[in-house]
Amino acid sequence: MKTQTSLGSSLNELVLLEIGNELGDYAAMLLAGFGIDAIKLEPREGSPSRRIGPFAAPPPSAIRTARTHLFGSADAPPSASSPVSNNGGGDSRSVFFWRYNLNKKSAALDLDHTATRPLLARMAAKADIVLLSGEIETVEQRLELWRELASQNASLIVCTITPFGLTGPYRALKSTDLTQMAMGGIMAVCGYDPDANLEYDTPPIAPAMWHAYHVAGEYAAIAILAAVNFRDLSGEGQFIDVSVHEAVNTCTEIAIPSYIYNGQVVLRQTARHAFPHITQFRLSKSRDDVYMLASLSPFEREARAFAELADQVGIEHVLKTPEYKQLEKEDSRAAYTYRNDLIEQLVARLPAQEVFERAQALGLAWSPIRRPEDNLTDPHFTARHSFAAIHHPELGRDLLYPGTVAGDGEQPHMNYRRRAPELGEHTSEVLEWSGCDRDEIEKLRALGVL
Amino acid sequence: MAENENTRRSALAGVRIIDLTWLQVGPQATRILASFGAQVIRIEWRHPAAVDFLRYMQPFAPDHATAQGGRSQGAARSHGIRGNFDRGGYYNNTNPGKYGITLNLNHPKGRDLLRQMVREANAICENFSPGQMDKWNLGYEELRRLNPRIIYMQTTGVGKVGTYKNYVSYGPTAQAMSGLTFMSGLPEPHPPAGWGYSYLDHSPGYFGAMLMMAALRRQRQSGVGAYIDLSQTETGMMLTGTSLLEYQLTGKPTSRYGNRMPYLDWSPHGAYRCKGEDNWIAISVQSDEQWRSLIEELGSPQWALDARFANAAGRKANEDELDRELTSCTVLEDRYDLMMRLQAHEIPAGVVQKAPDRFDHDPQLKARGYYVDLPHSEIGTWPIEGFPAKLSRSPADVGGLTGRAAPKLGEDNDYVYRELFELTADELAALRQEDVI
Repeated sequence: MKTQTSLGSSLNELVLLEIGNELGDYAAMLLAGFGIDAIKLEPREGSPSRRIGPFAAPPPSAIRTARTHLFGSADAPPSASSPVSNNGGGDSRSVFFWRYNLNKKSAALDLDHTATRPLLARMAAKADIVLLSGEIETVEQRLELWRELASQNASLIVCTITPFGLTGPYRALKSTDLTQMAMGGIMAVCGYDPDANLEYDTPPIAPAMWHAYHVAGEYAAIAILAAVNFRDLSGEGQFIDVSVHEAVNTCTEIAIPSYIYNGQVVLRQTARHAFPHITQFRLSKSRDDVYMLASLSPFEREARAFAELADQVGIEHVLKTPEYKQLEKEDSRAAYTYRNDLIEQLVARLPAQEVFERAQALGLAWSPIRRPEDNLTDPHFTARHSFAAIHHPELGRDLLYPGTVAGDGEQPHMNYRRRAPELGEHTSEVLEWSGCDRDEIEKLRALGVL
Repeated sequence: MAENENTRRSALAGVRIIDLTWLQVGPQATRILASFGAQVIRIEWRHPAAVDFLRYMQPFAPDHATAQGGRSQGAARSHGIRGNFDRGGYYNNTNPGKYGITLNLNHPKGRDLLRQMVREANAICENFSPGQMDKWNLGYEELRRLNPRIIYMQTTGVGKVGTYKNYVSYGPTAQAMSGLTFMSGLPEPHPPAGWGYSYLDHSPGYFGAMLMMAALRRQRQSGVGAYIDLSQTETGMMLTGTSLLEYQLTGKPTSRYGNRMPYLDWSPHGAYRCKGEDNWIAISVQSDEQWRSLIEELGSPQWALDARFANAAGRKANEDELDRELTSCTVLEDRYDLMMRLQAHEIPAGVVQKAPDRFDHDPQLKARGYYVDLPHSEIGTWPIEGFPAKLSRSPADVGGLTGRAAPKLGEDNDYVYRELFELTADELAALRQEDVI
């Protein structure tokens, strides 16, 4: 399809400064996918997210495994002596950091040194967006300075991402991805079926992994883009206060409406929607031992398609008989159970990919429950350029990253080309951009700021 | 466009979006765009086979709810009122701030009317099954001929281009395919727990809003439109964390970890049962210091003094036993009381909140004004879930330009067709007569 161009460089005249932790990594990376020049200002020891596993130790042959660190180990944690770390001892082996910091630049400096202030002021005068993330105490401390700097640059957009937002009685509570998934309501609707007495013997589940920060990061990117649009119209910057807690709360479908309107609390159930009552179990396994999402919605066309599929595969059934239609009217549960048993038989008879293709050919929205890596070689995603091949010189190879959610018919709408930066990899470039000359850089170096 | 309405200071002032979306994934994006001041015109058709499923999906507003009342009249179970498509609670929460009109796209005059609207719009969004718009001759290529600046966003399960381009999908299908369903749950032999809702009806909507805002800005600056082929499954793939990289580095298949933390020495790390029915607290201990505070707060039980638990490596190595023992303590505790006591020691702890906890109790959401009361023309005023960020100059307002929750089916026909598109009363009557609107 002939189309307009990709949005992958549509924001490339904007500069974003990012200071913070894992709460902000993803938001800035999303914006960097649209071409924003995202500069990570890191403390000299590196951003905290450089210390989140898993860790890779190049070359790949040297990768070790351990229980808590997939690639490093508890007794030999990633250290300043890593072959890929540089500029002050930060670690560059965090695969977490790699994932969430594509396309960015890194400048390492002592963020809290008094000599850094004029430098930050220069940057504030030239930047368009500042993203501060982390625990409330740290963010508030930094925000004080950025409020002052924003008063000198009225078009500056300053966004904070904190666990609970800058105001409110919970603002100082501590949290992690897990506890955010708990308090935001996602855990309460995810997990396994209760027993026959409707009592749960398994805990609520936080789907893996980092989704609290995903949702918050997406909302932060939306809010920043809204502010950019507003700035285009008005010339004015503004402050944005993103709460991870609120972000997670927006993302639980019918849980809140069911309670508000009907006073009902939805119940978590295995691999299907939480609902005010327990619905029928419907996971089935294919001949090659893959779980399959194979179920039918209430639409008549799906019932017809399934009967056709059963015929194709040679599953005997009475779905088209008047007796079955009668059963549906008189005992819908029994009819449902009968049909579910047929689905299970059918799925068990074929490999998952074949069930998938046959069902989809008849318009049934079925899918194998794939591992993420199963998609790496799927021709569909190759054709769509869904993965971005990013070169890792320290590994001597490319890694495929999920690189976009949309295309323009030919190209992805988000454009990821550069691996996450090593600590301080772009310090000189960033200082020059800010307007520092060589003498000033040397002075800062002598003061121990760089 | 629509400038006369945008007296407020909003990020998307003057933007008009033709909204053909339905269910959740499409409307999620336009909900956000409406809350930033875009004029979102939601097009539906009243034939029962074409009505948005969310209009007749539970939860419904209680049967006693009236236009002048709402939540103040109390919550109650309802099966809806047969033939009435204006009482859906989830629909109301999904579509606030939008104008609602009816238009029959199976009628040639309906399609002509849509073409006329597209000429005067910034963007059009749809999430029909792949190919439906092409069947109507309303695909991107056709619409850009009418309006070269148009932004066309199409959301499908697996995308409009590619081997599976004709495949169909609901949120759970995309979740299964992307890897997200597999990743959620207890380790094997437990099956995947998956997601208790369509996460991939939410997140792609967030991306849709993002992509649209980038495209609208470019359109304003350079007059260029865009075609956006947004895939729910690709969105899911973006959210699989580090699993794809781990696989490429180690060749080890992705596995499940339950609620545990595989990437840091955080332990205990999970959900623990508390007093009461299905009450749980999530606790993430990040250091030995936090561990010592935790056991002290629990009265230093004998089991917790076991040397195996003294450091993170030991706790990690004995996590099954640790979780069992810890549960024997938490099960005696009130969940909120324990949460606040642990928080006093700066231990990340949070109640696994259910809907009543989040709506009736959560003081943070209350203080931040998270739920927004908005009127609906048939079922009255109900709380609507808000936008999770506060913008100081162009705040999000889920009531959008309408100042209202979701529209009734065709509620704004007169306003939109007559005021915005300047049809005469006679023309409108004729279109009604012909079953076009």
